[in-house]
Amino acid sequence: MATPVIMPRQGQSVEACIISKWHKKKGDSVKVGDILFTYETDKSTFDEEAQVEGTLLEIFFEEDDEVPVLTTVCVIGNEGESVDEFRPDGQKAAAEAASEQPEASAEATTAPAQDVVNAAPTAESAVNAEGRVKISPRARNLAEKTGVDYLRVQPTGPNGRIIERDIVEAREKGLLVTPSARDEYMKSGVGAVSGTGLGGRITTGDLAAAGTAGTAETAQAAPATVSAAAPQEDYVDVKLTNIRKVIAKSMHQSLSTTAQLTLNTSFDATEILAFRNKVKNSMATLGLENITLNDIILYAVSRTILAHKDLNAHFLDDKMRIFNNVHLGIAVDTERGLMVPTLFNANKKSLNEISKEAKALINACQQGTISPDLLKGASFTVTNLGSLGIESFTPVLNPPQTGILGVDTIIQRVRVVNGEYQYYPAMGLSLTFDHRAIDGAPAAKFLKDLRDNLENFSVLLAK
Amino acid sequence: MAKQLFVDPKEIRKSGKITFQDIPVNQYNKTIEEEKANFSTDDFMRIFRDMAIIREFESMLYSIKTTNEYNGVQYFNPGPAHLSTGQEASAVGQAYLLGTEDFIFGSHRSHGEILAKGLSAIQKLSDDELMDIMKSYFDGEILKIVEGKQNSVKELAIDFLLYGTLAEIFARKTGFHRGLGGSMHAFFIPFGIYPNNAIVGGSAGIAMGAALFKKVNRKKGIVISNIGDGSLGCGPVWEAINMAAMGQFDTLWEDEFKGGLPIIFNFFNNHYGMGGQTSGETMAFDMLARFGAGVSPTQLHAERIDGYNPLAVIDAIRRKKKILEENKGPVLLDTVTYRFAGHSPSDSSSYRTKEEMDAWMEHDSLIEYRKKLIEANVAKDEAFEEILANTKELITKICRMAVDETISPRMDLVKVPDAIEKLMFSNQKIEKMEDRECDVLIPKEENPRVQQIKKKIRVGMQDGKPVSKARVYQLRDGLFEAIIDKFYTDPTLIAYGEDNRDWGGAFAVYRGLTESLPYHRFFNAPISEAAIVASAVGYALCGGRAIPELMYCDFIGRAGDEVFNQLAKWQAMSAGVLKMPVVLRVSVGSKYGAQHSQDWTSICAHIPGLKVVFPVTPYDAKGLMNSALAGTDPVIFFESQRVYDIGELFHEGGVPEGYYEVPIGEPDIKREGKDITILTIGTTLYKAIEAADILEKQYGLSAEVIDARTITPFNYEKVIESVKKTGKIVLASDACERGSHLKDMAQTISELAFDYLDAPPVVVGSRNWITPAHELEEFFFPQADWIIDAIHEKIMPLKGHTVKNNFTDNEIIRRNKLGV
Repeated sequence: MATPVIMPRQGQSVEACIISKWHKKKGDSVKVGDILFTYETDKSTFDEEAQVEGTLLEIFFEEDDEVPVLTTVCVIGNEGESVDEFRPDGQKAAAEAASEQPEASAEATTAPAQDVVNAAPTAESAVNAEGRVKISPRARNLAEKTGVDYLRVQPTGPNGRIIERDIVEAREKGLLVTPSARDEYMKSGVGAVSGTGLGGRITTGDLAAAGTAGTAETAQAAPATVSAAAPQEDYVDVKLTNIRKVIAKSMHQSLSTTAQLTLNTSFDATEILAFRNKVKNSMATLGLENITLNDIILYAVSRTILAHKDLNAHFLDDKMRIFNNVHLGIAVDTERGLMVPTLFNANKKSLNEISKEAKALINACQQGTISPDLLKGASFTVTNLGSLGIESFTPVLNPPQTGILGVDTIIQRVRVVNGEYQYYPAMGLSLTFDHRAIDGAPAAKFLKDLRDNLENFSVLLAK
Repeated sequence: MAKQLFVDPKEIRKSGKITFQDIPVNQYNKTIEEEKANFSTDDFMRIFRDMAIIREFESMLYSIKTTNEYNGVQYFNPGPAHLSTGQEASAVGQAYLLGTEDFIFGSHRSHGEILAKGLSAIQKLSDDELMDIMKSYFDGEILKIVEGKQNSVKELAIDFLLYGTLAEIFARKTGFHRGLGGSMHAFFIPFGIYPNNAIVGGSAGIAMGAALFKKVNRKKGIVISNIGDGSLGCGPVWEAINMAAMGQFDTLWEDEFKGGLPIIFNFFNNHYGMGGQTSGETMAFDMLARFGAGVSPTQLHAERIDGYNPLAVIDAIRRKKKILEENKGPVLLDTVTYRFAGHSPSDSSSYRTKEEMDAWMEHDSLIEYRKKLIEANVAKDEAFEEILANTKELITKICRMAVDETISPRMDLVKVPDAIEKLMFSNQKIEKMEDRECDVLIPKEENPRVQQIKKKIRVGMQDGKPVSKARVYQLRDGLFEAIIDKFYTDPTLIAYGEDNRDWGGAFAVYRGLTESLPYHRFFNAPISEAAIVASAVGYALCGGRAIPELMYCDFIGRAGDEVFNQLAKWQAMSAGVLKMPVVLRVSVGSKYGAQHSQDWTSICAHIPGLKVVFPVTPYDAKGLMNSALAGTDPVIFFESQRVYDIGELFHEGGVPEGYYEVPIGEPDIKREGKDITILTIGTTLYKAIEAADILEKQYGLSAEVIDARTITPFNYEKVIESVKKTGKIVLASDACERGSHLKDMAQTISELAFDYLDAPPVVVGSRNWITPAHELEEFFFPQADWIIDAIHEKIMPLKGHTVKNNFTDNEIIRRNKLGV
C-alpha cells in the first residue's frame, strides 16, 4: 500500500514549512534514508528522509510552496498505486490555510480597536468633568452630603483641585445649596447666585431670580453692543457627556433602523385612582402606601403582554425572540440623563413587589449605583411623562424591543352616559411599536386589553 | 572561621606539590558470562524490558509531537518534550540497585530516569507496599483509573507509573502532580523520584540539600543529582559540589556526622548542552570526570563510566553507593551516553552530522545488549521480540487513556476557579517537622545569650527617655529569641549562611547560638548564595525546616534562580505534595554603597509563591519570625542593618518574654491619626514618625502611621479603613521608586478607596540611582522632609511650607524621560 509523507511539525509555533528543495522527482525510486526534500521553518532547515522504500508516486507541493504541517507532501508506493486518497485537496488546502491566517489576525487586531473605541468616550468624559471643575472624589462626596455649593468654593489643592478641607471651610462659611435646588444649580454652572434660604442656602427661588436677573442684564446690555460689534460669546459650547452621547446614538439608531409608529388611546382611570387612594391610606404595617399609579400600570402591562407575544419580544432581523417572561424596562430621568433599568420577571411578581423593586431601581439610577447588568435585557419598556403633564407623545423604541408604552397624564374628559354628559378621569396611553415585527391591529388589541385590565383593575388583581 | 583549625604560616609557606590519582575511564570490562553470578536470567531480561519501556515511551512522545499520532492514537501535545531516546541504558543501570530510600533528582530530560527508578522500585516493593502507595496517593484517584485486568500487583503498578507520568506530561489533573509540573518537573516521591528541574543544573543544589537532610537527620539512603554535561558550565552546580564536599564535614562536624554528603553528582554526559558541544567547544574539561580532581583530596571518586552498557552503570553505582555509605562522599560520575533525539522535537540537529548519529545508533544499547544476551545464551531472540511487542501494546494502552478527556480531564478552572490559587501556599502551622529529641549542646536556659537577654530592658523608652543601647532589648534579640526557641522545639531545624557560627552572623543576630548547637545544625556555608538557598529547598522538600541566610539582600541576585524559580514554585508545581518551610533571612544594608544597601522587597513580592516580610521593631521581628518558623511556606525575611540595635518604641509593654506570633500579612498602625495616612515598608517607618511629628507641630495635622510589616500576603482592610478616615495617603520605603511595590499598593488603594480619596496616593521612594556613599544617603533614601514636601505638592498644600525637594508634575515627567 502507498505511504503518505507528511510535513512534520517542528515545534509548537510552526504552522507551516516551506519546501526549499526537492531531492527526488516524481517517479524516482527511493530507499529508506534517502533525503526526499529539504524544508525550512523560520528557525531552521530540515531534511525529510524516506521511511519506506518504493517509488515516489506523487508530489503535491513544489519548491517554495508553503505547506501546512501534518499535510501530506508526497506519496511513496509501488508504481500504479492510486494516490488519490492522500491528495491534500491540492492548492485549495494551502490556500485555505493561507487565508485563514490573515483572517484570524485581522480579528485579533480589530478586537482591541473596538476596545479603544469603547474606551475613548469614557476618557473624554473624565476630561470634561475635569474641565468643568477639579474636585477630589472625597471632596465631592462631602459637598453632596453636606449641601455645600462647591461651585463657589475656592480650591486650595494641587493644580487648582478642590479638596476636602475646602468643602469643610465652605460649610463653615455657609456656602450651601438646598437639595431641591442642587441639581439644576449644579447643571447651570452659574456659580454666582446669592443664597436667600436657611443659613444662606441657594434655593430654587434664588435660581429663578438669578435666571431673570441674568436675562434682564443681557437685555439691557444688548442695545449698547449692537451698535458696536456683533456680540461675542452669547452662547456656550457644552460638550456632551458620555451618557448623552450614548442616548443620542441609540435614539437615532432606533429611528433610523426600525419602522416605528405610535398608537394613542386613553382609559377611565377611576378605578385605579380609587385603588391607589385605598392603598395610600392603608396601614403602614402593610407597607403598601408607596404604590404609585406607574406601579399599577407596570403591573397591568406585566399581566397583559404575555397574551401579545410579539410585543414582549426582540426583533432580530431574521427571527423574533419571544420571551416567556416579562422583563420590563423602566425609563428613568436622572441628572446624568435617561436610564432604563430592567425589572426582570415582572409577570411573576406581586404589585407590591413590583412597586418596591421599581423604586429600588429608580433610586439606584439616580444615585448612579445601578449595576450595568440591570441596564439591559428588557423585553418591553414603559416610559412615563404623565407627571409632567404630557397628554400624548411618541415614545422612541429601544431596539431590538418591539414595543414601548408611554404613560400620559390624566385629564378630565366628557362622555355621554344615558344621555347625560359625565366627567371622568382619562389617562392617556401611547404605544410605539415596530411595524416590522407586528401589525397595527394586533398592537391595537394589546392596548385594548390593557385598557380593559386597567379599567377593571380589581378584577385583574384577583386573577 | 574555626578557631580549632590553625592557619600555620610554616605549613602554608612550605614548598611542595599537589598530586593526583588517576581517574578511571570506562574501566568496566566484564562479560555476560562473568556477570551471570550477579544477575539471574530474569534480571538480565528485566533490564532489557525497562530499557524497552523507556524507548517506546519516548518514541511515542516523539511521534505525538511531530505527527500528532501514535499507533492509531491521535493527540496534539503543545507542551515540551525533551526526550532521552538513546540514553536508556544509563537510566536503567543507575536505578537498578536503588531503593525507595534512595532519592534521584533530575533535569528537563528525565522521563527515562523517572520510569527506570519507578520500575526498579516496583520490582523491590512488596505487593502490599505497592497497594498502600497507590491507594493512598491522592486517595487512590490514579489507581482507580488504571485498575483493570492486570495479572499482578506489579503489572498494575507499572500501569500506574506510566499513566501517572504521562498524564502529568499531558497536563492532566490525573497526573502525579495534577499536571502542574509537566514534562520537565515530573516526579513521584513514594518511589524515591524527586523533582526534575527545567533549569539546567537546577537539581544539583537541591539534591545536595536532600543529602544534607539525610545526613543531619540520620536518614538512610543516598541521593543522586542527575544533570547534564552542559550544566557543569553553571556556577550554582560548582557551588553545590563544593558545598557537598566542604572540609568541615571531616574536620569540624561531630564524629557521627563526619564525612562529605551522601550524594552522587551524576552527569548524563550526552555531549551536547542543547546544541553546544561541551567537550571541545563550550567547556574546558576535555573529559568531564576530570572536574572531580580539582574539588577535593578525594577527587570526588570521579570516574567516567560507559552509559551505553547498563551493566557497567550498575557496577559503578554498586561501588559508589558503598563509598557513600562509608561517609566518604560526595561522588562525581561522568556517565557517557548519547541522545538520538534532538534537544527537543524542533531541533534539526544542525550541530552534528548524520555520520555521528548513525555511529551511535550502531552502538544502540537496546541492540548491543540484546545481542550480547543472545550470544551468552541468556535468552532467544523471540523473547526480546515478545518484550518489544508487549511494550508497544502497553504504551499504546497508557497513551490512549492519558489523551482521553473523560478519563484524564484537565483541571477545571471554571468549576474550581481557585484550584491553582489554593496551591500557591500550604498555609499550615506545624510546630515541629519531626517529633523527637532536639540535638543541642546545653539546656536553653544555660545559653549565655539567653541569660544576657534576661537582664535587658524590654521596652525602648522609660520615663520618656530612650533606654541605653547597652541595656535595651534590641531587634536582633527578638530574632534570636524566636530562632533559639525553635531550635529547642523542632529537631529538623538547621541554620546556615556566611559567618553564622562563631562570629554569630555578621550582625550578631546569632551570637550565642554556637554555644547551644552542634555543627550539624548550625554551620558556616561557603560563599555560595545559590547553593545556600538551593540546599534549603532540597532540605525542606525532604521534610525538614531550614533558615538559610544571605548576608546582604543585594546577594539575592547571586541566588536568583534558587529564590525565584525553586523556592517559590515547588509547592504549587507539586500540587501541594511538597511543603517548603524555609525562612530565608536577608539583610538590607546601610552605609555600604550601591551593592550593599538595596531594599529588594519589591523584586521578591513580584514572584508568586513567596511570602515576604520586613519587620522593623523588636516586637514585630520576634512575632513574625515565630510565625514564619511555625509555617510551612517559604518566607523571605527582610531585616535592616539600620535597626538591629533598636528598642521597642511602639508596642505597649515592650516585647513579651514568652512565645507569641505576629500574623503574616497584617499591617500595624504604629501611630493613630485622622488627617493623613502614611504607609511604610521597612525602616522608613522611623522617618514617617519623624514626619508625623513635624506635621503635628508645624501644621497641626495628625498623621496615622501604618507599618506594612508584610509585603506578601497583605491585608488591605486596615489601610483602606484609615484612608476612608483621612482621605489622603503617602506611601514610603527605601526601595527605588520605579517599580517599587508601593506603586502596586498605591494602585490597589486607588481602586479600593477611590471615592474616599482627596488626592491620588503618593509614593515616596528612593531615587532611581545607585546608592551613594553613606554621607550622601540623605539625598537618596526618603527623609521626613521628602514626605512632607510630597504632601504639600501633591496632596494638600501646607500653609507657609517651603519645599526642599521637587515633587512637581514636570519633574516626574523629566525624570521618567531620562529613566532616572
